[in-house]
Amino acid sequence: MSLLNPSNGWWTALAVLVAALLVLVTFVKYTRLWLVLLIGLVPVLGVWTFVKAPEWGLWFPEDVSTHGKGMDQLFYMIMWMVTFTFVLTEVALVWCVFRYHEKVPGKSLFTHGSHKLEMIWTAIPAVALLVIAFAQIGTFKRIKFENHWPTGGPYSAQKPIAHVIAYQFAWLMRYPDENGSFDSVDVVESPFDFVVPVDTDIMFHLKSRDVLHSFFLPNLRLKQDAVPGMTIPMWFKATKVGEYDLICAELCGWGHYKMAGKLIVKSKADYDAWLAQKRAELKSNGKADLSNMEEGQ
Amino acid sequence: MSVPQPLRGRLAIAAGLSGLLFVACSEPRRPELSYTLSANSKQLLADAPTAQAQLLGTLGMLFGSPADPSYAVPEEWIDDERNPNSGLAEMSEARQAELVAANQRAFATAIAHVEKGEFALVAPAREALDLQADWAPIRAGYDEIAAGVKKGTKTQADLDKYVAENKADALALFTDWYPSLRESAELYRTQCLHCHGTNGDGKGSTAPYLSPAPRDYQRGAFKWTALNDKARPRRADLYRVIENGVNGTAMLSFKRFSPTQLEGLVDYVRMLSIRGETERRLAGSFDADEGFKIEAVQEEYLDVWSSWDKSDAHVIAYDGEVPASTPEVIERGRVLFNDATGANCVSCHGVKGRGDGASAMEVDPETGKPVLKKDDWGNQLSPRDLTGGIYRGGDRPIDLYRRLYAGINGSYMPAHSTIKDPQGNRKVTDEDLWAIVHYVRSLAQGKRL
Repeated sequence: MSLLNPSNGWWTALAVLVAALLVLVTFVKYTRLWLVLLIGLVPVLGVWTFVKAPEWGLWFPEDVSTHGKGMDQLFYMIMWMVTFTFVLTEVALVWCVFRYHEKVPGKSLFTHGSHKLEMIWTAIPAVALLVIAFAQIGTFKRIKFENHWPTGGPYSAQKPIAHVIAYQFAWLMRYPDENGSFDSVDVVESPFDFVVPVDTDIMFHLKSRDVLHSFFLPNLRLKQDAVPGMTIPMWFKATKVGEYDLICAELCGWGHYKMAGKLIVKSKADYDAWLAQKRAELKSNGKADLSNMEEGQ
Repeated sequence: MSVPQPLRGRLAIAAGLSGLLFVACSEPRRPELSYTLSANSKQLLADAPTAQAQLLGTLGMLFGSPADPSYAVPEEWIDDERNPNSGLAEMSEARQAELVAANQRAFATAIAHVEKGEFALVAPAREALDLQADWAPIRAGYDEIAAGVKKGTKTQADLDKYVAENKADALALFTDWYPSLRESAELYRTQCLHCHGTNGDGKGSTAPYLSPAPRDYQRGAFKWTALNDKARPRRADLYRVIENGVNGTAMLSFKRFSPTQLEGLVDYVRMLSIRGETERRLAGSFDADEGFKIEAVQEEYLDVWSSWDKSDAHVIAYDGEVPASTPEVIERGRVLFNDATGANCVSCHGVKGRGDGASAMEVDPETGKPVLKKDDWGNQLSPRDLTGGIYRGGDRPIDLYRRLYAGINGSYMPAHSTIKDPQGNRKVTDEDLWAIVHYVRSLAQGKRL
């Protein structure tokens, strides 16, 4: 969509040109007004976009996890703290620009340091940070501390459902063989599709072949960097059957934007059937390709 | 210019603001693409600039342009009602039904709006140029009546009637959508072109930074197929690569597009490949005295097509069950792998399968130093390090079996099914191949990353 495109009407294009000219001319004469307007627009637009975002579909995606509630509450708590500070400081800024724009004849007042003020602007953020720090402990430990995981015990004692391998520029999920072994020749590979059962505590290992990537499930509010040379255990529980985004959230190279996989949440029975089918494919003798072909003819 | 000093800063800021306003209201142009001759043709026809132009024109006649690609349809195909421009007719009914289901998922929002009669809210996908064009008249009719309702010249009943009359057509547009070559070319432009190039010659702008190099379709040779005899790939072979990507390379999965779009890409890749192969043949057989004769051109064109039509007969499948991977089989595979008079895998892949065998190298005539041999595309080719467990053509045993059975198109990997001893018997039997497959898979056991 372009306003300058003549197919939208010459008048539109002309209006844009006139608007640009008006900006150019009036700015020189009414600099103060423009500055106040521009700086004043920042908090107004900021709050406005935030209010309208859910309507535009730019807000949080649907939460289908057990992590999501705690994460979202933390987000909103911090956001309200920040919004309050943001609006307060912006209003003060606009007022200062407006009130003290003109040069006042005479000598300015010089001050250096105020112990009281410094105490205030150190103490308030310190308290705010403490509030955040205490508020997040419960959520953080539930998601990240392995001895608090519902999957039980240190991760080395647990069986991961899959290995998730990130590389430039793909996701590769590797599932164990029938005996739960990842060292077998019969491991199952599923490029780009991370298939998991619903309402089950899922523990998996995250690895990277080359550079830093970041495993991000927006619908489950789960994000973790994949670090080459490290095996990073993670867990989540999906609460709704469906297909969700799995994206790379760490700029990893030119193909970063193409590194978009899928989290496919299936019912327990569907998941078992899918895995059984993938395992059966390993024993394929290629005849299936012939039968597909005959159907096609 | 005598602008007062304090004003200069203000002017600069004002000009910047106006510029931003201007930029925000304009849009970048979509580049106009055109097919060009391959480097090979330019070299072959270096002495005949007229022939170069003729060849380009001939190819334009047969395949159109990137903005409007379409095949030339010979008369006998018109009689047979064969339409090469859409792959839909080549698919089974079951597959066609799958694509309808895929469309219903991909266009769920648009379909929901159509069903509720909210035609004003329907927005066809950006790449689907023809779908947009087909939708436009339905939408225009709706908008006209809706405007009339506002003015009072029409009633809500008129609008409801229009919606009721057009709903079925509108729904069919979305559910039965199959991308035209033009629409697939547009998707190709945004997703594939930067590596594989406008002509499909693997010389896109990001290609120089990639190892292995992106596939050059123009030879019609593709490595990761399920076929023997270097047959042209089937739809399923191209689809598998686009859907799953190629492990260990920059070719990634395009699963985030709908299966219908991927089938459309298969159509377009096939077209680029057929175009490239036709071009190679025409340039190769060019005779300055005769020029490009229409009969000869058509003959080559149909000949290239026919090689793509025959692929189904070349699928490699094994009679019987895949032998189990036991320690004895793996040990037998190890012996066969290292047997210099038999399969002789060791010569290229090395004693430990690390891809460091001596036969993979040749002596560079200029420097006298050993370098890796080059494949048909002129890229240096290192034999696969089999201990990494990264199998480009698929990781199932049958995929490895197919690599051994038919070799790898364009590379030094030989087709072991065709290697015969002096008595005319196969040197490496099917059982031997399976033993090697299991040994090779065991090399990467527990080491895959």
